[in-house]
Amino acid sequence: MKILVVEDEPKTGDYLHKGLSEAGFVVDLARDGFDGLHLALTEAYDLAILDVMLPGIDGWQVLQGIRKAGKEIPVLFLTARDSVDDRVKGLELGADDYLVKPFAFAELLARVRTLLRRGTKAREDDVLRIADLELDLRRRRVTRGGRKIDLTSKEFSLLELLLRRRGEVLPRSLIASQVWDMNFDSDTNIIEVAIRRLRSKVDDGFELKLIRTARGMGYVLEDGE
Amino acid sequence: MKPLGKKSITLRLTLLFTVVSALVLTTLGLAVGALVERHFEEMDTELLVGKFELVGHALWEHSQSALSDRLDAALVGHHGLAVAIWDASGKPIYSHGSVDFPSIMKVPGTDLRTHPKLWRNEDGQLFRGISGTVTGGAIVAVSTELQVHEHFMHSFNKTFWGLVALAAIASGLFGWLAARGGLSPLREICRDTAGITADHLDRRLTAEDFPIELAEVARTLNEMLGRLEASFRRLSEFSSDLAHELRTPVSNLLTQTQVTLSKTRTAEEYREVLVSNSEEFERLSRTIADMLFLAKAENDLVVPELGPLNLREETDDLLEFYEALADERGVTLSIKGEASVAGDRLMLRRAIGNLLSNAFRHTPRSGVIAVLLTNVDGMATISISNTGQTISPEHLPRLFDRFYRADPSRQRDSEGAGLGLAITRSILRAHGGNATVRSEDGLTTFELRLPSIQQ
Repeated sequence: MKILVVEDEPKTGDYLHKGLSEAGFVVDLARDGFDGLHLALTEAYDLAILDVMLPGIDGWQVLQGIRKAGKEIPVLFLTARDSVDDRVKGLELGADDYLVKPFAFAELLARVRTLLRRGTKAREDDVLRIADLELDLRRRRVTRGGRKIDLTSKEFSLLELLLRRRGEVLPRSLIASQVWDMNFDSDTNIIEVAIRRLRSKVDDGFELKLIRTARGMGYVLEDGE
Repeated sequence: MKPLGKKSITLRLTLLFTVVSALVLTTLGLAVGALVERHFEEMDTELLVGKFELVGHALWEHSQSALSDRLDAALVGHHGLAVAIWDASGKPIYSHGSVDFPSIMKVPGTDLRTHPKLWRNEDGQLFRGISGTVTGGAIVAVSTELQVHEHFMHSFNKTFWGLVALAAIASGLFGWLAARGGLSPLREICRDTAGITADHLDRRLTAEDFPIELAEVARTLNEMLGRLEASFRRLSEFSSDLAHELRTPVSNLLTQTQVTLSKTRTAEEYREVLVSNSEEFERLSRTIADMLFLAKAENDLVVPELGPLNLREETDDLLEFYEALADERGVTLSIKGEASVAGDRLMLRRAIGNLLSNAFRHTPRSGVIAVLLTNVDGMATISISNTGQTISPEHLPRLFDRFYRADPSRQRDSEGAGLGLAITRSILRAHGGNATVRSEDGLTTFELRLPSIQQ
């Protein structure tokens, strides 16, 4: 997967490049709007991350240039200004997502993966599996090592989210938004508590712990190292 | 009208006074002049008619030879009076005073007795005369020279218009003085307001010192100053709050990072510091986002996207979200009632969520959090009560202030920056509602009220 990052702030640009590369993406970094647009039009990318305020031509114009050339790649905007007008403008111009600085890197990564997944039609498996854990979507049943685990409906949704995005670190805000549709910061340790309870049902008594805490970032479901 | 608006009021009033008085005086002058002229004309006509009759009488009484003497005697001493008589064929019979009568007056059968004629001779002298045909067919013309009148009218006009001009100038001057005097309180207001700067926003104008018309202006200015002072104070409090709230976490981060860097550590230790820093940074960026939201709300830039909203459903969802937390803490959750409003779903969820988070923070183990929804008289109410320590009354009014903590020893605990309740209140205000709190006998109740809609 190849990602274009257009960001003029040197540190932010470097860290985005580093972080995304380490997450397994091929990343091209452009430091201004002209280079960014040029790269976007000449190379093939799966996704573009654009800063709004750029020297030369701004992020909006880069986006317009990309869309004018008939390229349908998903575009994620980064901005330091959080105003409704900006958001509306971005969406009207055909941006796919919008993230306000400062953002958690895990949040950015999660959104990037969501956008990349959007294009490819996900296989609608009835049963999601990892190691000896099975989640049957149709019968809404969870088993581990053949033994049935009783989950509340929200615990089921939480496990389903972790399973669908196995290997990805999911930030608390994303979990609250996806599982409970809560898009504000609750200032409490709710997600921690919910994960702890789910973990006690899923991992307690098993040698292999599947639900892991990525400290300072969020939670991830994975097997092995 | 724009150029007029830029001219000084004093100049405008002065001009107005001058023009109006000049107009009035000119009209008056013209009227007086016309009256005097008419008076002269009447006097002349009376004289001319008298002499005409005298001549007619003499013509009838005396023979032609005696006529000349008789008339000369009668006309002597009448300075400027001229008489001429022609017979029916136009031959002059008699003439007194050498005046060249206009030919229209000599036409036989003419009768200009009641319509005096005015004319000038070659020397420019002005005459008024009448003529008529008397019994026997003779034509009689009588005229009087008007030099005296003309002279009088000339000097009358000169004096009069001079006076008019003087009076106009004088009233202009008075107008200028009056305008200046009348406007002096305005200059005072100017002087007083010029002294009010950001450092002295508490200064006010003394409305009683100004005339009635301007006292209103002074009061309006004072009100504006009051509003400015309040926003100014809010703004500077806001900045100092922000600086203060950011100082502690930044100082922690700095110390921790520099202490870690002071000697070589194990990878695990570095990891610990980075994790802790990351958490602190996340909290910082949340605080900044919340502060921005509040700043926008205070400037009315937070505009809710209103849609029909069943508060019961929203609160049920929220309670489901908090369920695990309640279980863990042994807190009992309950909800009763129904209410529907026109509101912004995301914002109201956040407002109610903040209250629930706050309630969880202050409810002891095995306590109770109860939500009650009501819909009375067009107002929807959500009240969230929790058991726990009673908050003393002096803290209650300030609970919704940003960064306010009733218990100073709880400064910067791991949860919450002290902005949640302030955000809740600003969201409610943006919805045309309000947020209140009361606390007694170990029960604290937050109440949100906003206009409801019928479901």
